[in-house]
Amino acid sequence: MRKGHLLLLLVWMAGVSCIVQAKQLAVVADPGNATANLSASDLLKIFNAHTRNWPDGKPITVVVRDPSSADMQLVLRKVLNMTSEQAHAFIQEHRGAIVVADSDDAVIHFVSSTRGAIGIIDLYSLTKDVNVMKIDGKLPVEQGYLLRGN
Amino acid sequence: MIGIVLLLAALAATAQQADRQSPNPPPTALPLTTKSPEARHLVEQAMTLDLDQVEQAQAIEILRKAVKIDPDFAMGHEFLTQISLDPAEQVSEQQKAFATRKNASLAEQLLIEWYQDAMDHKLISAIMKMNDVLSQYPHDKWVVWMTTWWLTTQTQYERSIEIYEGSGIADSPGLMNNMGYSYAYMRQFDKAFAQMGKYVAALPNDANPQDSYAEILRMAGRFEQSIEHYRAALAINPDFYSSQFGIADTYSLMGDQVHARREYELGFQKFKLPELHKIQWQTREAITYVREGDYEGANRAFDSIADYAHCASMSQVEADTYRQMAMYQPDPKQALSYLDKADAALGEGKNAMQAAIADESAQVLRARVEIAIKMGNMRMMHSSLAKLTDMSQSTDDRLISVAYHGAEGAALFSEHKYKEAISHLEEDTDNPLSLRLLATVYQKVGNSSDAKRITETLTNFNDPTLEQALVVPAFKKCYQDPSCSGDVKSAALKK
Repeated sequence: MRKGHLLLLLVWMAGVSCIVQAKQLAVVADPGNATANLSASDLLKIFNAHTRNWPDGKPITVVVRDPSSADMQLVLRKVLNMTSEQAHAFIQEHRGAIVVADSDDAVIHFVSSTRGAIGIIDLYSLTKDVNVMKIDGKLPVEQGYLLRGN
Repeated sequence: MIGIVLLLAALAATAQQADRQSPNPPPTALPLTTKSPEARHLVEQAMTLDLDQVEQAQAIEILRKAVKIDPDFAMGHEFLTQISLDPAEQVSEQQKAFATRKNASLAEQLLIEWYQDAMDHKLISAIMKMNDVLSQYPHDKWVVWMTTWWLTTQTQYERSIEIYEGSGIADSPGLMNNMGYSYAYMRQFDKAFAQMGKYVAALPNDANPQDSYAEILRMAGRFEQSIEHYRAALAINPDFYSSQFGIADTYSLMGDQVHARREYELGFQKFKLPELHKIQWQTREAITYVREGDYEGANRAFDSIADYAHCASMSQVEADTYRQMAMYQPDPKQALSYLDKADAALGEGKNAMQAAIADESAQVLRARVEIAIKMGNMRMMHSSLAKLTDMSQSTDDRLISVAYHGAEGAALFSEHKYKEAISHLEEDTDNPLSLRLLATVYQKVGNSSDAKRITETLTNFNDPTLEQALVVPAFKKCYQDPSCSGDVKSAALKK
């Protein structure tokens, strides 16, 4: 028996069961970044290195997980329209502007301590050390948010 | 690229190393602030009983004693909120935890606020607070337990397992149990069985490890083995009622409803159950009639549960019972009348938190959309969907969001907008109603591999819920019948 618990009991629904849900990713920036919202096309331009600076002139450093990871598959499909192999090659070509981290904690550590950094993490890894950016005016928990899905 | 990865890993490791070497290392255990050492001891005792020994009823009694000794013991109230089986007590204890949190340490305050935020549908803030507490106490058993459990309620199994493995806690049977379930929910049954093997070995004389093993086997569709483990649990502890009802649930999933009801009734006769557990298994027993297509029998059984919930002022339970009744009614008008009753119960809103009422309202609206589709009443479908959309846009509650996506996906499917339906249905993959549509739309848009994957998920969906009863047996039957054809089946059979 799994332990009974508040959230299951308060939300009494005999029909509720569990299978893995769609992923939700958060775009995060360093706390000093004044930009709170990006359009999907802004995001694409930042991640494909067409935009290299923030509006205040700070250089942008993109930090991502390995392109083969499940989270990045979603980003590749929804934002970049690239395969993992293309993404690997692209990162090699843009070393310095794009950094690969081996965990969400490492993404957060890098973003929180690097002015101008922007990264993508699983929503549930979010900490107070980084700012969550809206995409097209929407936060990750809102309907129609870009970076949701399987 | 590998160099950069290593650099980042090294940076993180250096930060951890610095923490470890600082002259005043942070405490490793979450403080439990109370003016009474006796109350603290009782809370520790209760939580060990609850997590590792599955003695929930005893643990609840001890927690009640602890907060009576120190009514300002915020974490005592919070723990009691977490494990109470009485909805009214859950509501009042969470209010007390929140009201008394200023007496506690900052970490305890964060933890209580995290749960309050989660209940208030402030998900981003809740996640940040959870990770803040976790970063301070990554090896504390209670923090790891509360974190991993909350994440599983959010269906974040991967993150939950990552935190458990990172905690280094290897001697908590309760956490072994929880992680076994997390692997099972991810359909990684080999890992789930391995975890349950460890759990059984850790507590060879306890019933719960056998009971959990049985449930995981049932989820994997290994019904006979599941019943053997349930019986092993009852042999260890004849009072372990969950196993008795587990046997009943398993017979129901196997299609033997008469045997299932016999086992449910045996359980009701033998055991005095906490209220919510009693209703849970009465609901499962009512579902056996739905599985047989005996809707009158189902109506009698569900009506009796709804009446009981009404008399006991359990508004959400009453509403959910009526919602379920609506779901299987062959006559859509009858279904709508049950949904009206569900709304009336929610209007009374007795003994339920506002968030829970909102969640149930969303479920009722979703059911209205489904029934409107059955009736071909597009006006009703759109008006119910519009209300659900408004609800969903005004909150970040996961259950409301999932209800909206399921309803929107079904509506788009009914309008043959298959591509648009996919992203919505993908948000609701714990519901066989959406899985069935998703398998079809994948096939319609030419995505055979995902159609096959979803079909396999659906045919192996072994949870004893109403939605499973409404969808899976018929789906399996068609799958196994050479004369039954259709898009989904042809997708499933493609190599």
